[in-house]
Amino acid sequence: MKIWPDRTITADGAQAHIRLQGVSCSFGDKVVLPELSLDLAERRVGVVGRNGSGKSTLARLIAGLIAPDAGRVLINDVDVLRDRRGAVETVGFLFQNPDHQIIFPTVEEELAFGLTQLGQSKAAARAKARAMLAHFGKADWAPRAVATLSQGQRHLVCLMAVLAMQPAVILLDEPFSGLDIPTTRALRRYLDQIEPALIQITHDPAALEGYDRVLWLDEGRVRADGAPDEVLPAFRAAMETEEGGDAGTDLAG
Amino acid sequence: MLALTSPVETPFHRLPAGVKLLFLAGFTLAVFQVERPVAMLLPVAFVAGAYLAAGRSFLWQGAAALRPLWPFVAVILAWHAVTREIAIGLTLSGRILATVALANLVTMTTRLDDLVAVVTALLSPLERLGVKPRVIGFAIALVIRFTPVLIGKGQALAEAWRARSPRRPRWNIVTPVTLAALDDAEHVAEALRARGGLPAGSTERKRHGT
Amino acid sequence: MERNLVLIALFAALIAALGLVPTITLMSGVPISAQSLGVMLCGTVLGARKGALAVLLFLLLVALGLPLLAGGRGGLGVFVSPTAGFLVGFPVAAFVTGAIVEKLRAVPLMWAAMIGAFLGGVIALYIPGIIGMAITLGKSLAEASALALPFIPGDLVKVGIAGLVTSAIARARPGSLLSRSSARAKGPR
Repeated sequence: MKIWPDRTITADGAQAHIRLQGVSCSFGDKVVLPELSLDLAERRVGVVGRNGSGKSTLARLIAGLIAPDAGRVLINDVDVLRDRRGAVETVGFLFQNPDHQIIFPTVEEELAFGLTQLGQSKAAARAKARAMLAHFGKADWAPRAVATLSQGQRHLVCLMAVLAMQPAVILLDEPFSGLDIPTTRALRRYLDQIEPALIQITHDPAALEGYDRVLWLDEGRVRADGAPDEVLPAFRAAMETEEGGDAGTDLAG
Repeated sequence: MLALTSPVETPFHRLPAGVKLLFLAGFTLAVFQVERPVAMLLPVAFVAGAYLAAGRSFLWQGAAALRPLWPFVAVILAWHAVTREIAIGLTLSGRILATVALANLVTMTTRLDDLVAVVTALLSPLERLGVKPRVIGFAIALVIRFTPVLIGKGQALAEAWRARSPRRPRWNIVTPVTLAALDDAEHVAEALRARGGLPAGSTERKRHGT
Repeated sequence: MERNLVLIALFAALIAALGLVPTITLMSGVPISAQSLGVMLCGTVLGARKGALAVLLFLLLVALGLPLLAGGRGGLGVFVSPTAGFLVGFPVAAFVTGAIVEKLRAVPLMWAAMIGAFLGGVIALYIPGIIGMAITLGKSLAEASALALPFIPGDLVKVGIAGLVTSAIARARPGSLLSRSSARAKGPR
């Protein structure tokens, strides 16, 4: 399902070229990412790690939503922190909880929002929103109140709202949390088909099946980086044997 | 969400809350009677002395709390300099600083639960009119619990806005935050009913013999 | 009974949250505090009585020393500062706003909310506000009014926003708009 077949491809044939150059980030005294330099050009990239490993911070840095203490982040040569307009056209972000993301009361308004912010007229934005809904087979959702949709349906609305901006890459922050298995599979099917590159943050290895590259983030550093069948078994093994009892988990202290 | 009580221990922390409040009320009324700048030096010096007695870090906190007043003081002094009534300007500035600073001192040296106890005691005569002090205590706890939740929602929505717009968030964010307040209220009310309703007032407790 | 109390508490929290999250920028890019917008919404959504109670609860918490005023201010000091009159005006503003929304049923909600927000959140708020400034700053009412003038455009913007937000809420949660609920005539629950 090529949603927007007129997507620009970068010079080296990649959908999106993400470059982190000497990026470090701390909150107060806590150093979340000591220093990171990365080059991502794969179509499907996963980032795994425990809670608190810096995955969400990394995702927000890549999207330009938070400022690094040092270094910079470039996506297709757009400085995502300084060029917010370019950033918003290049990188999308799907937040974990749709209720923290949906601003407008109706589906159509929510989808049209990003487009009007980029300067399109309300009419043009609404037309594109309706086209997007039709493409997903949900044309009747346009006037519906978001409040009447189920959890899974709201996740889909958020995805469509991000897709409407035609980004080169989308960051997914734990996109399947709280969804039941059939809904997860359905959302997964949609995600597999969309054109933009995906960077998925997750603590669940099963969600990265079929991905091109996986990074394992541990206390802000890249502990492993490679194909899923190299990184994920080691990650799974480490998760299952790490720290007996509560120590080192969220339950300690 | 932390109250403005200072963690720095001072001798004033040990005074009973009611005493401090009464003193503050009397002091404020008295200061409003003072007309001359020279006489105003007395309350200003008194309050400054109290802060100094409490220690340097406390003094810094107190000074920071007075910062929002500087625009007003500046306006007063400039105004009265222009109308050649400097004496009045100084008196007024001193009054504002002394009263606000002493009130802040009381706030910084009194714990939240002590103040709640004073409020509960003051409201107990109204019980016959249907005001239940324990219910007020519960309401206070609810506000403290949910303010950070609603702030968090506002911040998350602002972040979601910035992810799709190069412009700063606009008023549209207010609607979902308000809806969150309404929805959270429904959920909490439901949870309350499931646990037997509101905490009983003291009169009801006496009736049940507890 | 639980529902009323909890709504009042949550809206007190809303006033605090709207003061502490920077949400609105005027056309020129100057951020203005949405806190008085929260006061207006207490009136337009909860109605006169419950709206005023929500604001009173909010003020009680500020007096108890919680940093709930815009900019993280709070404590007893703000009740003797030059802006104290506005704090006194807050519950009056919510009450007047709510009363207008309740009474003007023939008027469509958005307009009633705007009228209420203006008469309550601006007129009824600024009267005690200006009196308070006049007393603490030792100025005449006319002089204090001049000092308050620059803030009025921002508050007029909030009046418009109050109308839009209230009607959006009515569409999203029709049952939650207590100021226009049909069960009102039955008396306190």
